[in-house]
Amino acid sequence: PPAAAMPKHEFSVDMTCEGCSNAVTRVLNKLGGVQFDIDLPNKKVSVDSEHSVETLLETLKKTGKTTTYLGTK
Amino acid sequence: MDVRKITVAVQGMTCGSCVQAIEQRVGQANGVHCIQVSLEGKSATIIYDPKLQSPESLREAIDDMGFDASLPDPNP
Repeated sequence: PPAAAMPKHEFSVDMTCEGCSNAVTRVLNKLGGVQFDIDLPNKKVSVDSEHSVETLLETLKKTGKTTTYLGTK
Repeated sequence: MDVRKITVAVQGMTCGSCVQAIEQRVGQANGVHCIQVSLEGKSATIIYDPKLQSPESLREAIDDMGFDASLPDPNP
């Protein structure tokens, strides 16, 4: 499917520093098949992916940070 | 009870919350008795039960969280 059809999911991740956002980057890259933007000051991660929300949530939670799903953007 | 101790080098931690996240998550893993993470030393010292965990499984647990973890060189 065309990339434009993929939903963009927004998550709130309790990141406090560069190390936190780097950790998020690493776990998402490990999962693969994702395009994402990290907004550190606002503690938000928006992910463009065909993975399910559950998969993405589980992946983000691996970092040990409090993570909640905010919905599609 | 059989316990072992290992120090894993951890790169990428920059603040107290990174340290806390690792201590909480890895500290809850099966067979981990005690974990102490040092931000300055860029390392995690873990006391564990070798029947339930191995140096590699502990390294992987930290790596899985998004931090670059490596085991000490066995032949320094």
